[in-house]
Amino acid sequence: MAKKILIVDDDPDLVEAVTMILESKNYDVAAAYGGLEGLQKANTENPDLIVLDVMMPDKDGYAVCKELKADPKLSRIPVLLLTAVVSKIATTRYTQQMGMETEADDYIDKPVEPEVLVKRIEALLSK
Amino acid sequence: MPAPVNILVIDDEQIMRDGSSRILSKDGWGVITAENGQQGLDVIKGRPDQIDVILLDLMMPGMSGMEVLDHIRSINLNLLVIVITGYATVESAVEAMKKGAYDFIPKPFTPDQLRIVVRRALEKRSLQKEAEFLRQERERSLRDIATEKSKIKTIINCMGDGVLVCDREGCIVLSNPAASRMLKVSEASLIGNLLSQCNLDSELSKTIEESLRSKDHNYTSVSQELGIGDSGESFLRAHTAPVRDDLGETIGSVTVLQDISHLKELDKMKSEFIAMVTHELRAPIAAVEQQLTVILNRMAGEISEKQEKLLSRAKERTKGLLTLIKDLLDFSKIEAGRMVQYKEPLTLQEIIQKVVDLMKAEAENKKIDLEFPAPSQNPLIQADRNSMEGIFTNLISNAIKYTPEGGKVLIALTEEGGFAKATVSDTGIGIKRDDLPRIFDKFYRVKTVETRQIVGTGLGLSIVKSIVEAHLGSISVESEEGGGTTFTVFLPKELNPPTS
Repeated sequence: MAKKILIVDDDPDLVEAVTMILESKNYDVAAAYGGLEGLQKANTENPDLIVLDVMMPDKDGYAVCKELKADPKLSRIPVLLLTAVVSKIATTRYTQQMGMETEADDYIDKPVEPEVLVKRIEALLSK
Repeated sequence: MPAPVNILVIDDEQIMRDGSSRILSKDGWGVITAENGQQGLDVIKGRPDQIDVILLDLMMPGMSGMEVLDHIRSINLNLLVIVITGYATVESAVEAMKKGAYDFIPKPFTPDQLRIVVRRALEKRSLQKEAEFLRQERERSLRDIATEKSKIKTIINCMGDGVLVCDREGCIVLSNPAASRMLKVSEASLIGNLLSQCNLDSELSKTIEESLRSKDHNYTSVSQELGIGDSGESFLRAHTAPVRDDLGETIGSVTVLQDISHLKELDKMKSEFIAMVTHELRAPIAAVEQQLTVILNRMAGEISEKQEKLLSRAKERTKGLLTLIKDLLDFSKIEAGRMVQYKEPLTLQEIIQKVVDLMKAEAENKKIDLEFPAPSQNPLIQADRNSMEGIFTNLISNAIKYTPEGGKVLIALTEEGGFAKATVSDTGIGIKRDDLPRIFDKFYRVKTVETRQIVGTGLGLSIVKSIVEAHLGSISVESEEGGGTTFTVFLPKELNPPTS
């Protein structure tokens, strides 16, 4: 059975593009367009993995991630954090630190290269 | 030429006046005569400074010699009077001496005796003049110093910049109202107190103490930014330099403070604006690039070769824009003071080694020999790890970018004075002399045929410079067109390495 991935991002264009990448690799995709909707769908959609954007207006990715990891029913779901900061040169610290603090399982910069995204997702799912 | 000498002879006897005149004028001295006391006094009053020695007969009709002597003494105590006494009147000679006469000569006397007495008096007179001259000189110098002091004090007190002067023990000996206003302490609690007692900003005290302790003659001045007040409501820039005596010993320090709060405020607003704009810009561009990526990967259906070519170019352009935005974001972070906050003791060797390892692949792709020989010295510095990685990533990737295939990039690490010194040299295209002074400017890019193909934002080096300066270090560049480039970074060594 195909694995289900929940994408949480307030930018519909980005959600659509990532959805197309994942669907081309035969994943089931559910989308949420904000942090609160993301939390709700994490409960209802029963995803195998969550791709979570950081900068969202209603509730940011760090806060969402924290709540997910604090919930015993959901904490086992791997979270891949989508960060807007290019992880080159000196800006890595911020993302890394925040990523670690929020216990996200991995993080990736957007825009993403399809093969990189898929590789990371596969790695997380096979854990 | 010595000043002309004038001798006044006061005697009622014509023979004495004429005789004395004749004898004394032979020696080139000017002689003025007076035939009684009153006349003599008139001459003296007429030109008190021009009479050097007075020959005064004690036994005169009318005003007596003693009386004349009293008057002379009341005119000027320094006038030298030789009294002429009658034979065997030693008592009156003694009395005259008591009244302040300089010498006496009993009558009758020989020309030589007269000459000897007068010459002795003249010698005394010339010493007197010398002493008087020196005294006036000294008075003038003291007056000059006092004027100078008061002038300097006024200048310092009127200055908008704060001034703090410490002696070698770290005691504040001079400050101005601006300094106490900026540091938010009363002037009275500054002057005469040790740094440690003044409740000054600890960073500033530390810098002043370091400057007082500096033995190194290359140690000139340190510039730092200070946040004053608990909530950091005001910002100062402090320049501290040691004062050295003629032997090069440090005898104190001078600190000049500038209030840069308004600049900081402007900077902060600017940085917040940049941060806001970059986030707003970044999201749509990232979305566009993501969409292009999906199409290019044929995840939205087949595309023709021509379409692929166009879309690839479009993606390159969005990538360039995203890099520019990232650099802008980095910059606004540095300027908002958020970038260099996590200082820890570390060695540049580990930082550089890590960056070199990361860059190896890029260098090999361009067939560039990237070398970082193990340094003999490995100084400890106090720095922000990620910022340091940023500096060397930038410098080394620049070196690789601007060096043609088959070239060499060499990184070296040493110590110099109180600094860790790192150099990044390449055998690349070099920088034109005209461009050198501006390469650290924001958005400045060298435009030549060779650099046209190289993607860059023109922010990298100015970010590097900001980081280096935020660590109280310095960066410089040496280059020759076509002859390679060397960047040199100085970062202050950790002064108190943890004892482990």
